[in-house]
Amino acid sequence: MAELLLDPNIRGWVFLPIVVITFLVGIIRHYVSILLSSQKKVELHQVQDSQVMIRSRLLRENGQYIPKTAFLSRRHFFNNEETGYFKTQRRAPVSQNPVTDPAMMTDMLKGNVTNVLPMVLIGGWINWMFSGFVTTKVPFPLTLRFKPMLQRGIELVTLDAAWVSSASWYFLNVFGLRSIYTLVLGENNAADTSRHLQDQVSGAAMSMPPNPKAAFKSEWEALEICEHNWALNGVDDDLLGLRNTSDSIENMYYQSKSGL
Amino acid sequence: MSGKMRAKQDKLDDIIAYSEVAVRNNAAVVEYCRISMAALSGGTAGLLGLTGFYGFGFYIFAILSLWGMLLMKAGGQWKKYFISRRSLLTNGFFGGLFTYVLFWTFLYGMVHVY
Amino acid sequence: MCEIDDNLNWTEGRDILRNWRESLERRSKDVVEIWETVLMYHIDKLGNEKYLVLEQVCFAALDCYRLPLAEYCVKALMKEFPGSSRVHEYHAMYLEALEMYNEALEVLDSIIKRDETNAAPRKRRVAILKACGHIPEAIKELTEYLKKFMSDQEGWHELCNLYLQEQEYSKAAICIEELILHNPHNHLLHQRYAEIKYSQGGYENMYIAKAYFCQAIKLNPNNIRALYGLLLATNNLALSLKCPVSQKKGTIKLNEWVAGQIEKQYKNKIADKGNDSKYIEGLLAQLQLEG
Repeated sequence: MAELLLDPNIRGWVFLPIVVITFLVGIIRHYVSILLSSQKKVELHQVQDSQVMIRSRLLRENGQYIPKTAFLSRRHFFNNEETGYFKTQRRAPVSQNPVTDPAMMTDMLKGNVTNVLPMVLIGGWINWMFSGFVTTKVPFPLTLRFKPMLQRGIELVTLDAAWVSSASWYFLNVFGLRSIYTLVLGENNAADTSRHLQDQVSGAAMSMPPNPKAAFKSEWEALEICEHNWALNGVDDDLLGLRNTSDSIENMYYQSKSGL
Repeated sequence: MSGKMRAKQDKLDDIIAYSEVAVRNNAAVVEYCRISMAALSGGTAGLLGLTGFYGFGFYIFAILSLWGMLLMKAGGQWKKYFISRRSLLTNGFFGGLFTYVLFWTFLYGMVHVY
Repeated sequence: MCEIDDNLNWTEGRDILRNWRESLERRSKDVVEIWETVLMYHIDKLGNEKYLVLEQVCFAALDCYRLPLAEYCVKALMKEFPGSSRVHEYHAMYLEALEMYNEALEVLDSIIKRDETNAAPRKRRVAILKACGHIPEAIKELTEYLKKFMSDQEGWHELCNLYLQEQEYSKAAICIEELILHNPHNHLLHQRYAEIKYSQGGYENMYIAKAYFCQAIKLNPNNIRALYGLLLATNNLALSLKCPVSQKKGTIKLNEWVAGQIEKQYKNKIADKGNDSKYIEGLLAQLQLEG
C-alpha cells in the first residue's frame, strides 16, 4: 500500500470523535424523544372501532371453530343491511390536514425536533468542524462510482475510491449505528417501565386506520365472502381413527406442554 | 437463547399452531444475537486486518457459525423453536452486513491505516 | 412459600419480586412476606423500582386482607403520583376492601370521566357490583363495557361466569364462542363450551356438545373431564329417540372407545401408586350404556 500516510493526530481528533459523537447523540436523542413524547389522546369510539376490527378479523380467521348458527349470527351482527355494525356506524373521516389539527402539528414538530434537527445540526457542525480530512480507508476495493458518496468534501480526482472523508464517515456512522442502538437501548429499559407508572396504557390495540369508513367497508366485504366450514365435522371419526396412533398424539401433547 | 423459546405446537400432523408471542420473542432473541455477532466479527476482522474478499468471507463464516451454534443450542428439536431453518440463516443478512462493515472499517482504520 | 428462605438479603428479595412481576405471577402471600421480612427496611435503596414494588405489594396486601399495609402503599404511591389514574384505581380497590363500595364507585367514576378509554376502572365497577351480589346489574354493566371493548377476553370470560350463575346457558355459550374465536386451540375452552351445551340439553345441543368434547380430547388426550363429558354425551345421544339409526352405531362405538380411554388414564395413574382399578371399573360400569 504505497499511498497516503495519515497523521495519527487525525485518528485522535477526528476519526474517533466522530464515532463517539454520533453514538452519544443517538442516545441523547432517544431519551429526549422519551421526554417529549406525549400520550396520545384516544377517543372512545376509536378504541371501539379498533376492537371491532379485531373481533371481525378473528371471526373470519377462526370462525370455523364455532357452530354455523353462531357464526351466522355474528356475521349478521356485523354485516346486516339495516342493523349491522359496519353499516350503521357512521364515522367522520379523521382529518389528516395538519394545519387544522393543532395536536397533530405539535406532534409533527416534536418529530422534527427529535429526528431531523439534530441530524442537520450535528451534520453541519461536523462538516464545519472536521471538514476536509481524509479519515480512513475502507478495507475493500470500490469502484469510482462510490467516490462522491464516500469522499464528500474532498475533490481529489486521483484519490482512490476506498478513502473516506470525514463528512462521509459521519453519515456511515449514522446509518450503521442504528442496529447498535437497538442493542444498547433495547436492553436497559428501566426508563420505560417507570414511565408506565405515571399513567396506565389503556387497551392493547389503539392503532386504528385513519379512515374507519374505508376500513369498515373492506372488512364488510371480506366478511361477506367468508364461508363457514365447521372444523369440528368428523372430529369423532378422527378420534376413533386415531385409536391406533394415540401414542403419537400423546407425544405431541407432551411436546406442547414442555414447549410452553 | 436463555431457554425461553416457546413455539407451541399442539395440533395434528399437518396443522401446526404457533404461539405468536413466543415466535416474536424468539425472533427478537435471535436478532440480538445476530447484531452482536456482526459487531464482534466486524471488530475481529478489523483487528486482523482482513481486506477485500477475505473480509466478506469472514462475514459469511461468522453467519454460518452463528447459525450452527443456534441450531446446536436448539438441539434436535429446532422445530419447536423456529419455523424454518433457512430463514434463520438468511434473515437480516444485509442489516448485519451493514453493522459488520462499519465495525470492520472502524477498527481497520484505527489499527492499520494510521 | 417453599422457596423463600428465611435469611435472604434485600437484593435477592427485589430480584424475586421483579421476576414475578415480569412473569405476571401473583403469589400474594409470598410477596407480602418478602416485603415484611426484608424489603420494608430497605425501601429507599430500591431507587426507581421502589414504586413498582410498592404497587405489587399493595396488590398483594389487598389479596391477603392486610389493610394497614395496603393503606401504607396507597398513601406512598399517592404522594408520589397524585394525578395518576393507576394509583387512584388502587385507592378504589382499597376502599372496596373496606367495603366502602359507594366511595369506591365514586373514585372509579372520576377516573372514567377523566379518561374514557381506560378499561380497567370499568371492569372494577363490574367487580364491585358482583361483590355486592347484584349479579343482573353486573351483567348489564359488563355488557355495556363489552359493547365498547369487544375484544377483551377477560371480560367475555367473566360475563360467561356471571351468566352461568344466573343459569342463562345460551348466553353463556355465546361468550365462550367468543373466547374460542380468540383461542381456537385451547382445549379447556372447547370443554367448557361442550359442558354448557350439554347442560342446555336437547338433541341438537347434545350433538354439538359431543363434537366439542371430541375436539377437546383431540387437543389434549389427557383431559379427563372432557373424557367423562364425552362418555355422558354419547350415552345421552345413543339413548335419545331422535337419534337416527345410521348414527347410532357410530355413537355407541365412540362411547366404548371413550370408556376404554378413561380406564387407560386411571390405569396409568394408579400404576404409580400400586392400587387396583376395581372401583373405577365399577363406576364405569354404572355409567356405561345398558345393552
